[in-house]
Amino acid sequence: MALSPAANSEGPAANSEGPAANSEGPAANSEGPATKNGSPMPFVRLKLRLIANGLRGRPGRIALFVTGVLVSGIFAVAGYAIFAVPGVLDDGRAAATLLPLGGSALVLGWVVLPLVFFGVDESLDPARFALFPLRRRTLIAGLFTAALVGLPALATLVATAGTVSTAAQLGGGGAALVQFAGIVAGLLLCVAVSRSVTSAFATGLRSRRSRDLAVVLLAVVAALLGPLQLAVLAGLERADWEAFGTVARIAGWTPLGAPYSIGLDVAAGRAWAVPVKLLIVGAAIAGLLWWWSATLERAMLGAAASGRGGEAAETGSPVDRLVGRLLFGRRLPATRFGALVGREVRYWLRETRRRAALITFTVVGLFLPVSVSMSGGSPGLMGGFVGALAAVALANQFGYEGSAYAANMTAGVPGRTEIHSRAAAHALFTVPLLMVVAIVVALVSGRPEGLAAQFGGLVAAYGVGLGVVLPVSVIAAYALPETTSPFALSSGGGAAKGLLTLGAMLATVVVSVPLQVVAFFLGDVWLWLGLPAGIAYGCAAYLIGSGVAGDLLDRRMPELLAAVTPGR
Amino acid sequence: MTCYFRTMTVPAQRHREEPPAAMSLRGLVKHFDTKLAVSGVSLDVPAGSFYGLLGPNGAGKTTTLSMAVGLLRPDAGQAFLQGYDVWADPAAAKARLGVLPDGVRLFDRLTGPELLAYHGLLRGMDAATVDQRARELLDVLELSSAGRTMVVDYSAGMRKKIGLACALLHAPRLLVLDEPFEAVDPVSAARIRDILQRYVAGGGTVIFSSHVMEVVERLCSHVAILSDGVLRLHGTLGAVRGDRSLEEVFVQVVGGRVGTGSELAWL
Repeated sequence: MALSPAANSEGPAANSEGPAANSEGPAANSEGPATKNGSPMPFVRLKLRLIANGLRGRPGRIALFVTGVLVSGIFAVAGYAIFAVPGVLDDGRAAATLLPLGGSALVLGWVVLPLVFFGVDESLDPARFALFPLRRRTLIAGLFTAALVGLPALATLVATAGTVSTAAQLGGGGAALVQFAGIVAGLLLCVAVSRSVTSAFATGLRSRRSRDLAVVLLAVVAALLGPLQLAVLAGLERADWEAFGTVARIAGWTPLGAPYSIGLDVAAGRAWAVPVKLLIVGAAIAGLLWWWSATLERAMLGAAASGRGGEAAETGSPVDRLVGRLLFGRRLPATRFGALVGREVRYWLRETRRRAALITFTVVGLFLPVSVSMSGGSPGLMGGFVGALAAVALANQFGYEGSAYAANMTAGVPGRTEIHSRAAAHALFTVPLLMVVAIVVALVSGRPEGLAAQFGGLVAAYGVGLGVVLPVSVIAAYALPETTSPFALSSGGGAAKGLLTLGAMLATVVVSVPLQVVAFFLGDVWLWLGLPAGIAYGCAAYLIGSGVAGDLLDRRMPELLAAVTPGR
Repeated sequence: MTCYFRTMTVPAQRHREEPPAAMSLRGLVKHFDTKLAVSGVSLDVPAGSFYGLLGPNGAGKTTTLSMAVGLLRPDAGQAFLQGYDVWADPAAAKARLGVLPDGVRLFDRLTGPELLAYHGLLRGMDAATVDQRARELLDVLELSSAGRTMVVDYSAGMRKKIGLACALLHAPRLLVLDEPFEAVDPVSAARIRDILQRYVAGGGTVIFSSHVMEVVERLCSHVAILSDGVLRLHGTLGAVRGDRSLEEVFVQVVGGRVGTGSELAWL
């Protein structure tokens, strides 16, 4: 670019002013003059401006915001009411249990919720400040203050204010004042802990591998929620209040519960505990801020991929690597079908969303029939449900790899070959699993003689499920987000089509019912007839469904590709 | 069924033209919602030519090529590859075609060798040939050292190279490449140029899109300039360029601004 001499002579002067202007902070751009002494106020104004701009002219967003306000309000009022109950009842013992434990739960909520909804609010993502010459202390102070401004912090403050009311009832004005200091310290702790954990998490999730691992862990946790819930409920039935009191006393001396129990300490005449507990909380906040500051720098670098060197070269010819050494050391034929199945099998093992689906299905598939047969229900009907559930993993099978499907289109893979290969690869994982389910159910329900019929029923349901789901996967495919973030949700359009999946599942259960009815009326004969009849029923349903799906695919390939390509 | 279609589609080949076009597009139109992405593109790519499709960002290059190779259904118009109608007889049209799409994912949870084997077997080649050619391609494109790394962990340049290898594996007679030189380092770009030039010298046809004038000027025998979904200019490089540089012609045809020297004076 040609510059005039005059412009050149002015250049350096203008440049030398640049950094000074920048050091005023990011808000300087939008908010006019800002302070130079590292005040956090520009960050707060920036956050408020971002919220306001986000709402401007977007009814959907406004509705979401109003919903958020309502939910926060309900949370705040309910929290206040719960925390104030011991005071109203004038029950010191209940207060000594509820306040530390409830407060601890609240702090833990601040740790977990941002992780689950990670990526929802990135308005003040540290990575966006990477290019500004800000001192780290200024940045921390600013981000911390900005995080205090918001519905969650406000709702938490109001909810915990219930403890102030309780302290006032139990110990008078002095206790209330101390407790108020406690809830402010508690709020600071909540924000510090959530910001620092989020930041550390962002740093930890930089590589694709750790993100993949996080997805799998999340799937395991999600799948275990059901069993865990039962275990906790069973534990509660046996628990006594003494144990809770002990736990609460201990929690009161940890940073989690300390801020919420100091008012009670005053009321109980243990004023000496107040400075000690405040010191504990203060030290915890300081430690968290230090940790945050340490991870912030790495978080600011964002998800820039760190180059890894090539891994050890693998032996074997390329074709062997694709179709050889599959499950159980089997080999697939070196044909088009073999290649398709080999690729699918590898995707079930390597692609995070598919792996998560397999894990979830394994846990649910084992847990549901076992819990049903333990509680004396009919494992037969539950088997139908499990078989249908297995097939549902294929409801958006084309969405998993998105636009990569273009390769199969340019290679001219016929629709039926495509569908058969995908079903075959899924069956390689699912059928052995169904066998395990049948064995476990037979053992748990104490009817080993029903094993074959049980397995037949499962295969029938799986076959019917595939028959229903495969056409759905062609008609109602939708794009999944391309990001590998474990917490990215499919936005918008997927929801309606997800409902269709639910419909497919219901249809599967309905179509499986005739077999269940026959089984019921045949009684013991079914023990012998169940396996062959189930397999025949399942295969017939699969053949019809896959045929329909294959023909649909032949007609709709470009439309399918467009549907699964994100951002169109 | 194939025979039936062949008798139907072969007459579409225009015998009076010599040599027959490797790719010919007839009035392709595509709307996205209300936006007209491609409006009536007709183009003949002669067999044995090295054809460059030029255009600014958003000109409709990718949309046009997607319709030409059967990835995107046009609202109107036809596309013929080696005389076969892509939308009436896809199997025959795609058989001798290699495609490197842009903005389309690969099956990136496979390793490089696995991906090549996948493409080879998908094209119905026998295992021994796939192995031999895949090894050679990996070697030539310097991808052998990637070993067990999945394609998802490849750099952008490596991804382009493995995509190109997949397109070349079955020795097609027509290569359609969308932005083959984007994000590729100079050394690899030189290697790719070399491979493509030898391919054309051996009788193959290449059509590729780009917005880098130097590459097009250096490689192509023919160019077409596309902007706002309309084909503005096409023909042999010499005919399009005249006695000016390709960049001058391009900027003039596309209607870009020409600097007067007075704007941004403070820089």
